[in-house]
Amino acid sequence: MIADLPQIIVTGLALGGLYALMASGLTLIFGVMRIVNLAHPAFIFISAYITWKLFTDLSIDPLVALAVTMPVMFVFGMIVYKLFFAREADNPRYIEITVLTTFALALIIEGVLGFIFKGTVRSTNPPYSQQAFFIGDIFLSRAQLYAGLIGIGLIAFLWVILQYTRIGYAIRATTQNRSAAQVVGVNVERTSMIAFGLGVAMAGAAGSLFSFVFTFFPGGHWEWLAILLALIVLGGMGSLPGAVIGAYLLTIASVFVNDQIGFKWGPMTFFLALFIVLMVRPQGLFGSKIEAT
Amino acid sequence: MATADVSVTDNRDTTTSSGYKSRKYILGVIVAALALVPVLQWQTTNNLNFWLNLLIIIFLWITMSTSWNIIGGYAGYISLGHNVFAAIGGYLAAMLLLRLDIPVFVTAPFAGLVAMVVGFVIGLITLRVRGPAFIISTIALVLVLRTIIDNWDFLGGVRGLTLPLIGLDVQLVKIPFYYAMLLVALLSIYFSYWIRHSKFGLGLRAISQDEIKAETAGIPTKMYKVLAYAASAFFIGVAGALWSQYVTFVDPGTYLIILFGARPVLMTLLGGKGTVAGPVVGAALVILATEFSESQFGGTELNVIGVGVVMIIVLLFFPDGLVGSLRRAGRLPALLDWD
Repeated sequence: MIADLPQIIVTGLALGGLYALMASGLTLIFGVMRIVNLAHPAFIFISAYITWKLFTDLSIDPLVALAVTMPVMFVFGMIVYKLFFAREADNPRYIEITVLTTFALALIIEGVLGFIFKGTVRSTNPPYSQQAFFIGDIFLSRAQLYAGLIGIGLIAFLWVILQYTRIGYAIRATTQNRSAAQVVGVNVERTSMIAFGLGVAMAGAAGSLFSFVFTFFPGGHWEWLAILLALIVLGGMGSLPGAVIGAYLLTIASVFVNDQIGFKWGPMTFFLALFIVLMVRPQGLFGSKIEAT
Repeated sequence: MATADVSVTDNRDTTTSSGYKSRKYILGVIVAALALVPVLQWQTTNNLNFWLNLLIIIFLWITMSTSWNIIGGYAGYISLGHNVFAAIGGYLAAMLLLRLDIPVFVTAPFAGLVAMVVGFVIGLITLRVRGPAFIISTIALVLVLRTIIDNWDFLGGVRGLTLPLIGLDVQLVKIPFYYAMLLVALLSIYFSYWIRHSKFGLGLRAISQDEIKAETAGIPTKMYKVLAYAASAFFIGVAGALWSQYVTFVDPGTYLIILFGARPVLMTLLGGKGTVAGPVVGAALVILATEFSESQFGGTELNVIGVGVVMIIVLLFFPDGLVGSLRRAGRLPALLDWD
């Protein structure tokens, strides 16, 4: 049975990059603003539908569509932040209000997507989505490989922005201590807006890749929500390296469950991991403990 | 009714003013009128099933949101997954009916008890965390149960279970459900009222204000939270059981979807979190609006959008809900001041 192990690890590593990309924005937004963005998978779905539209109507390859979805979602994210979250910064019920607002946003997005695109299950099928490499007898889907590599590439790009640019310093300072950052002259309001935009841009990129690796329908984002939350809770909420490691660990684990126990129990890996990690070690592997306020 | 008599603050001694005196009678008249509605069904040849159905749905959701309010409103722990208790009640009653042929009207209180015990155990585990971690865990709970039931053929899997109709004439078939659901809704409101005015309820409200201070003041916060969570599960389990036979099926696609868990939250927020009357008002408004929009525009997508839009407007502009905002403005009619 463990003869499948190399195959499981290869598939897990390829998919892990995409999962990590999907989770990266979520963890960034939580780190900087303490917002648990329940609408994150819905944002990913918006981008997936844009990519699908571009692909079916204009035959634009999803990998090219990335150049559209990322900036569009970046702007969209900043607008969402301005409209719904900027004014709540000093609210004593901040956590509750922001979580429920993102929840409501997810519902609205689900409804709007359903209204425009109907409930049909969709995906894009560029040529590489059907092709695969064989290394010996190990099978590697080209779609998964591309998505995984681009995912990791974009996370590296985000990492460089955070480490070496001026806005990156500001974002990290705001993450570490909001009021202290303000004292030393960081415009936390603007920094938060840009960080939110960056996080949603990551969701945008993930959505384009998602469109040819997985299938999607308007209500499907809730399942992904639990999956992404599992990744970042395991890694430690707010930690980007944590999200990446959490993504690889849990993706490999779920591929293992798919293979050994049965396909339908794969998602259960994430749900149970989420539940258990929250109860046993809420701070995850690398994060600081999630606090009430 | 004298709407001029309003309580401006949390003053508990307002019960002597005339608006508050007449309140008892007005509420009594409303309940009596609700109890008499099915009588019209016998008297007239008109079919009242549409109205009975609407009222049953409203009673169901009053029960849901009033119960949710105990943990979500009084104690301030937001659960987005209280539909698991409706599912537990629904599936338990359905199985007892199908396997042992016991009617749901008999098993419903038992279903509530089981939901409460399960709630107690889950509460012991999940209430060790708070804030976002707790909220996330409630979503995880729904998805765990959903995956289990989807894949468990014993419980019908994805297709769920189909239940027989109760053997009554179409003219009468809704009436037992009407009275049962009305009773459950009234009991849940009374239970919520009782908690609100007990030492227990005071402790819960202290927890929602500042848990550490509450603990320091000697409130057994841990036990209080778990008890509140279990208490909030009881009537939801009962209502879930009744509902399963009313609609003659249980399936994961209706009981264990996120929208089901979101509704009591929306209703309670809209009406006023942490008040006794808020969830009742919120549930009635949301159901009336939903039924209206469905009959006028159809389509579940608009419904989903509507829930989201109303929720955001309430969150951003009236975070205290209708009852809370009116009280703050000193304009809450005595009729709706049940705190």
